[in-house]
Amino acid sequence: MSTIKRKTGILLLLLLFVTASLPAQGVQLSGYARSYTGILLNDANGFSILQNTFNLNIEDSRGNVAFKVNPYIYHYSNEDLTIGLREAYLDIFFDSMDLRLGKQQIIWGKADGVFITDVISPKDLSEFLLRDFEEIRMGITALKADYYIGNSALELVWAPAFTSTKLAEEASLWGRTPEFESPIPGVVPTLSYDYSQKAVPATLENSEAFVKFSGVSSFIDYEVMGGYIYDDDPTMHVTVDLTPDTNGVPQPQLTLTPQHHRLSLMGGSTSMDIMGYVVRTELAYYAGKNFQANQTYQMGPMSMTLPSALEEKDYLHYLVGLDFSIGSTKLSTQFIQEYVLDYDESIIQEEISNMSTFLINRMFMNDLLTLQLFAYYDITNEDALVRPTVSYDLADGFEILGGANIFMPGVNNDYLAYFGYYDDNDMLYLKLKYSF
Amino acid sequence: MKTRTSLILIIGIFLIGSMSLTAQTEMSATEIMQKVSDRPDGDEMEGTLTMTLINSRGGERVREIRQYIKDFGTVEKKIMFFQKPADVKNTSFMNWSYDDETQNDDQWIYLPALKKVKRISSDSSGDYFMGSDFTYDDLGDRKVGDDTHTLLRTETLEGLECYVVESVTKDEDYMYSKTITWVVKDRWYGLKKEFYDEDEDFLKSLTLLNVEQINGFWIITGTEMKNDQKDHMTRMEFKGVKVDAGIKDSNFSERMMKRGL
Repeated sequence: MSTIKRKTGILLLLLLFVTASLPAQGVQLSGYARSYTGILLNDANGFSILQNTFNLNIEDSRGNVAFKVNPYIYHYSNEDLTIGLREAYLDIFFDSMDLRLGKQQIIWGKADGVFITDVISPKDLSEFLLRDFEEIRMGITALKADYYIGNSALELVWAPAFTSTKLAEEASLWGRTPEFESPIPGVVPTLSYDYSQKAVPATLENSEAFVKFSGVSSFIDYEVMGGYIYDDDPTMHVTVDLTPDTNGVPQPQLTLTPQHHRLSLMGGSTSMDIMGYVVRTELAYYAGKNFQANQTYQMGPMSMTLPSALEEKDYLHYLVGLDFSIGSTKLSTQFIQEYVLDYDESIIQEEISNMSTFLINRMFMNDLLTLQLFAYYDITNEDALVRPTVSYDLADGFEILGGANIFMPGVNNDYLAYFGYYDDNDMLYLKLKYSF
Repeated sequence: MKTRTSLILIIGIFLIGSMSLTAQTEMSATEIMQKVSDRPDGDEMEGTLTMTLINSRGGERVREIRQYIKDFGTVEKKIMFFQKPADVKNTSFMNWSYDDETQNDDQWIYLPALKKVKRISSDSSGDYFMGSDFTYDDLGDRKVGDDTHTLLRTETLEGLECYVVESVTKDEDYMYSKTITWVVKDRWYGLKKEFYDEDEDFLKSLTLLNVEQINGFWIITGTEMKNDQKDHMTRMEFKGVKVDAGIKDSNFSERMMKRGL
């Protein structure tokens, strides 16, 4: 047995021991155990995932103080274990103010399944967007203070250390490998990575700060926010070496150096009920976001264009959504637009990119059976992700859910295509979940 | 005081009248239903609601909710914290209902998995609440003027003399074509109510199981809704009920939805 496995085993035993003794002290336990199996619909019919999960919430409160710890364990078919803490925080409640200190998920905005002003908790995209949203959101260590004035609240968040979005490993099913075309026949640019600039040192000057003022009223719910942050998604600095071979033909070698940069953003969101239709809006304005751009290299009579330049531009990201019902069927749709201001034609991203989402949900048999369809559709590239599910409650808190993830190709299906890139990853899956 | 029907007490909490039988017989059906609607029932109420869903094979599912209701004059606010089953634990729901008949309710739901309070459409009165046999409308605040009321007869039910009032909807799209309510004379609470679907076929019946006097108010603490078309039944119990015991105004807020009990 390896040292790591031995340590993991000890940790698990400790966790079980501590957990078993907590209810006697009045501490509340809740959570779930889940079995998750997914199979690919491509020729190989391989398993996309074989995962067992144990998620535990340990909570207690005494008067004006409370705590929550949320450990989780993922077990995979190759015996790999992932153990972590999604949240671990302390609460102090005052008459008009709450303080929360520790690792916590902080979610802002009114959008569903789209991240616009929701920029505090980074995303775990190791399984693309397929994890449950509770699992996509990563906790961050932060101090959060809320001051309440009637039905309004001022929220301040200070995150001392930056945590970046967790991307899928390149070799995994959800990895994305940049593809660069060379204008020279027979010549394929080689890629290498330099991760030396990826980490943002945890210092006071590198900390992130956020502020939000929000309110709830009969007429409208609103949030106004701002943040001084690091871009969760790293900017890819590209250096190009065009040293020619012995025949004098340039052999492009690209070195990609991911680096997170500072960003300022401000924005807000609203939600209103108009004649039974809930209308949601959300907008974020980013000042000085880096965009990948093309650069032309001249070597004598020969020229080639590579995406090695960066353009710093202001950027808008916004959404309009509508929730409504037809009989007992719930429907929701959202239109999302990204707009690069002062656009330069060399930028690879389109000046305006449009996307939409659709949700249909209906329950049957006194809520025992639920049918749902959720879809993302990239209007610009015409690719899509369609996610039908059917779930049935075998007993209170015991659910069986079957579903599919269908990736539909678009105009382009290269590494820049958000959904079409995974055209070979269509899958069926089954989840059994026992909540307690 | 604002007309109020709490989540579970909807149909059955009626004014104990002091009028003579002669005077009662002269009352119109609309007057009877208006008195029911105007019944004083305290400004605040809290308690734990247990719903037992029973299917045709006798299989049971249990939902447990802690709820608080407070009348703020022109608006009644209600907040509910879901306790059972485990997969909905810590979900909360808030409703603001207005005296102004032209103003729709405002509703929000907090889903702990999303960590977000969402405004939801109040246009869901026909939906069944948590898989039970009660729709949101059954549990809500139906206005007397929404129906045309007719006094069909008086009759004895379970040893109690009752007015039998038929209420026909004025809205052609409403889920019930009519309801028939048995109102107990002298006690003025509903003993039974029948619901008929849009095709005027019998759909379900609500039966009073238990009533208690709490802090001077008659409170229904047990009801049963039996849906004949689905062969499904829901039993509701309201326990630990406190009336006018003091609930902070600030409890009816987004803050408390997130924080929980």
